[in-house]
Amino acid sequence: MKKINILLAGVAVLIAIVLMLIGTGAMQSLQRAFLSFTAPFSRTGAVVQGLGAVGQGLKTLDQLEAENKQLKTENTELRATNQILRDIEAENAKLRTALDYRERSLFRLVAAQVITRDASTWWSTIKINRGFEDGVEAEMSVITDIGLVGKTMTVSKNEAIVMLVTDENCKVGAYIEGIQGATGIVSGRRVQETGAALLEMNFLEKLAKAQAGQKVYTKGVGAVFQAGLLIGTVESFQSRELDGQAILAPAVDFSTLSDVFVIVGVQ
Amino acid sequence: MKDVLLTAALIVAIFAALIVQEFLPPLGFMSGARIYLVPVLFCYGALILPYPLMIVLALVTGFMSDLAFLQVVAGSVEIPVGWSILAYVAVGSICQGLRPLVLQGHWELHILMSVLTTITLLALQFGMISMRRFEQGGWVWNETVAWRIFGPGIVALVLAPAVYFLATLAYGRNEEIGRTARGY
Repeated sequence: MKKINILLAGVAVLIAIVLMLIGTGAMQSLQRAFLSFTAPFSRTGAVVQGLGAVGQGLKTLDQLEAENKQLKTENTELRATNQILRDIEAENAKLRTALDYRERSLFRLVAAQVITRDASTWWSTIKINRGFEDGVEAEMSVITDIGLVGKTMTVSKNEAIVMLVTDENCKVGAYIEGIQGATGIVSGRRVQETGAALLEMNFLEKLAKAQAGQKVYTKGVGAVFQAGLLIGTVESFQSRELDGQAILAPAVDFSTLSDVFVIVGVQ
Repeated sequence: MKDVLLTAALIVAIFAALIVQEFLPPLGFMSGARIYLVPVLFCYGALILPYPLMIVLALVTGFMSDLAFLQVVAGSVEIPVGWSILAYVAVGSICQGLRPLVLQGHWELHILMSVLTTITLLALQFGMISMRRFEQGGWVWNETVAWRIFGPGIVALVLAPAVYFLATLAYGRNEEIGRTARGY
């Protein structure tokens, strides 16, 4: 091996070690800059992904002809029953629910769209299209109108990475409704099955006797998660040597998550 | 000059791959294993480029990969920025030993290195996470973990030949490179 090559390898190793030794804040600043740089590409990717879904619907000419006939018949029926108006009404109701949730919420919410989800193997995270320009900061709760999604981690100008409640590192103080003193810590599991993520609620009292179907809410301890946010429902409970553990099904379906809210303050 | 252009093209391709990877859905039939394009692209460069340019490629690839997957938990970083640089320099150095064979036409070595690199990187990541979280959950090993580590390796097995031939087509590797490698 040439001396120059050894020297180059040495320099690369040195750079790597220096980078490994820099502080968390500096690493996060680097990631923030990287996220800001990649943001336009990520957004383009999200749009292309949407267009790709359109491409999945392409059919052969024969299929289209048959479908066309069918659609014409259907169209007449639809006119008769005024289905279109019903669809609009349903859409309207859905939007009104979302708007209503935002308005009646005790919190100041910033609506965000999910750009990517499950982007890494070992961490349960999503990327949303809101950043510090929209008032989003690190360690803020992310919710839907159904329940808790997770918390923001690194926040760049127009994007933020959200750690989902299904991640092992996302720990939430919680209580089970209807059981006195049934408080514990909810977290995800290290490796979650896709589409079937479960949560663990540890440090419960051994005699808590949680029943399947009981709801679990955030307790509001600490500065990140506000109290009263629905996390999930109890699937099973087991009494262990020192404590009790409940397995929970998350309230939010993370596989279809597309719109979320970031809690940026209180009304 | 051609090698410098290839390095630049690979850096752009790896950057694009990091973004594209995010949009590729996990493979349900492999317990949620993901598709990783970056190690396959890096291995191509490491097997074709001369050592100094391979080091540049390793630095950029490692740096970008670490930033893309940086996780800050309770004020501390789970896997620090820089570790991937070390991993890519090590893998790249091994690839350099195989470079003369690849330049003589042994393209199958690219498949081998892509598979090994993908699996090794994921296994190292999992090992580091497990050590860091040992106190809170011990050592976890199950079928899902095995799929998440070895599944992307299987995907790399399929992707590597396509990447190799497409890159070779674009790069225009020919007898001239072979002669250079043999010292003509």
